Amino acid sequence: MPGMWWVVGVVVLAAIFSAYLGWTAQRVERLHTRARSAERALDAHLLRRAAAAAVVAEQAEVVELYAAARLALDADPGERESAENDLTRQLRAVVLDPTDPAVRTLIATSRRVVLARQVHTDLVRDALSARRRVFVRLLRLARRYPRPSYFDIVEPALPDLPPPVPVPAAPPEDVLPAQAL
Amino acid sequence: MRIGIVSPYSFDVPGGVQNHIMDLAEALLELGHEVSVLAPADDDAELPAYVVSAGRAVPLPYNGSVARISFGPLSTARVRRWLKQGEFDVLHVHEPLSPSLSFLAVLSARGPVVATFHTAMTRSRALSGLQNFLQPALEKITARIAVSELARKVQVEHLGGGAVEIPNGVAVRKFASAQPLPGWPGEGGALGFLGRFTEPRKGFPLLRTAFVSLARQRPGLRLLVAGPGDRADLYDDIPADLHDRVEFLGLVSEPDKARMLRSVDVYVAPNTGGESFGMILTEAMAAGATIAASDLDAFRRVLDGGRAGALFPNGDQASLARLLGELLDDPRRRADLASCARLAVGAFDWPSVANRVLEVYATAIEATDGRVFDEEWS
Repeated sequence: MPGMWWVVGVVVLAAIFSAYLGWTAQRVERLHTRARSAERALDAHLLRRAAAAAVVAEQAEVVELYAAARLALDADPGERESAENDLTRQLRAVVLDPTDPAVRTLIATSRRVVLARQVHTDLVRDALSARRRVFVRLLRLARRYPRPSYFDIVEPALPDLPPPVPVPAAPPEDVLPAQAL
Repeated sequence: MRIGIVSPYSFDVPGGVQNHIMDLAEALLELGHEVSVLAPADDDAELPAYVVSAGRAVPLPYNGSVARISFGPLSTARVRRWLKQGEFDVLHVHEPLSPSLSFLAVLSARGPVVATFHTAMTRSRALSGLQNFLQPALEKITARIAVSELARKVQVEHLGGGAVEIPNGVAVRKFASAQPLPGWPGEGGALGFLGRFTEPRKGFPLLRTAFVSLARQRPGLRLLVAGPGDRADLYDDIPADLHDRVEFLGLVSEPDKARMLRSVDVYVAPNTGGESFGMILTEAMAAGATIAASDLDAFRRVLDGGRAGALFPNGDQASLARLLGELLDDPRRRADLASCARLAVGAFDWPSVANRVLEVYATAIEATDGRVFDEEWS
């Protein structure tokens, strides 16, 4: 009975397709959850950095740095990126004393910002590319999740201190341009 | 922190990735973390206490050399069991895109996954062709580490992801404290080479030719070679009258490698390509050897642009011979290079590298379940 094979074939195909859709929906959810977590983590590390910068600025009495740190702490979401960039610029302009524990904390937090931003960028990219998939768009599988967006700031790396040695790898600034999105 | 590390290659055979994993695991254990390493191994193989065997490994050609790895349904089952029993806070896989335990672990894992890319794969174009197929696996990786600028570039250009560059570590203490082999380096000068001398990319023929011409002028000069390979293959291409001035150690253990590096006046790295980092150079630096290396990008970076070791134009045999002659004649320059190297290698010492890896773990954990770790910043 050829007719029955037809039915069996269609049923099998439908089963495979719905399994695929289920899997894709799960993927979309996972990627968006992660992008959101990464965003929260990045936010927390940026706040820590700004707080650490404020401490250093107060100690060294650098008014511009203190102002930039306050602005970064209080910035509205729309102005956050430029406020963080200002802070990075101010941080690069001041001479940091590596023996000061506050400075060490500041450098450590900056390093964590670099990592958090890197991971956030990667996870946002993954989530966005999942949103572009044909079935995700057609069936609007991503409609429940807000569209994640990149946090577009200049690389916040500070020169690693204390320079234990002339660091053999390329300095962080040189490494960065390739990270552009 | 409970850390699960997956090695794609068997520990039965020494190799850069395997050593990296063992040193990292030991550095992490020393810092007080719980570490379990899953690796292919024969069931009767002797393994460190922190290594879990995932069954026998089969030799498979990969990226220009032969790797012993395991793959298949049995391995998958063992990976899953290990993941389940481990309850790790973070999973750290190495070379996740090789057909290996690492890939299986990535597929089976949920949660914070950190991946380290070692090779700057030459056949990365094939990889970008597979990208769509690999995407679901790549998506499970939360944070990526590249051991070199080159490996990072491959990441960025071919897989469309960023990566944090954390160089390989070196166990500086072990190398700096090793005793030279008895009778070495000796009066007439000694050159050293370590690696698979039959592999063209390691550039041994360049050193051999340079040694033969130098040895004719310098009656005391000797050459110390270590690495996997057949004794006959090594001596075949060396004139018979020089045979007693070439010592072949064969495949050496890690402690013997350190002793070997302490036993030479000049360590030579004539590699012509394929090196993404130059691990052996950092080891030679830690051992306090003077280094002469080809000017590959990777080597140039490790050697601080030539301050921590002398560079010669890649593949240029005449320059190599000239450079070696100069170095052998100039003990002061050798001492200067070596002391600069000892200083520069600090950046590659394992405890500092392990701390940077821990920061990546923390970042991956935060991004995966939203916890912000309230750890001491170091």
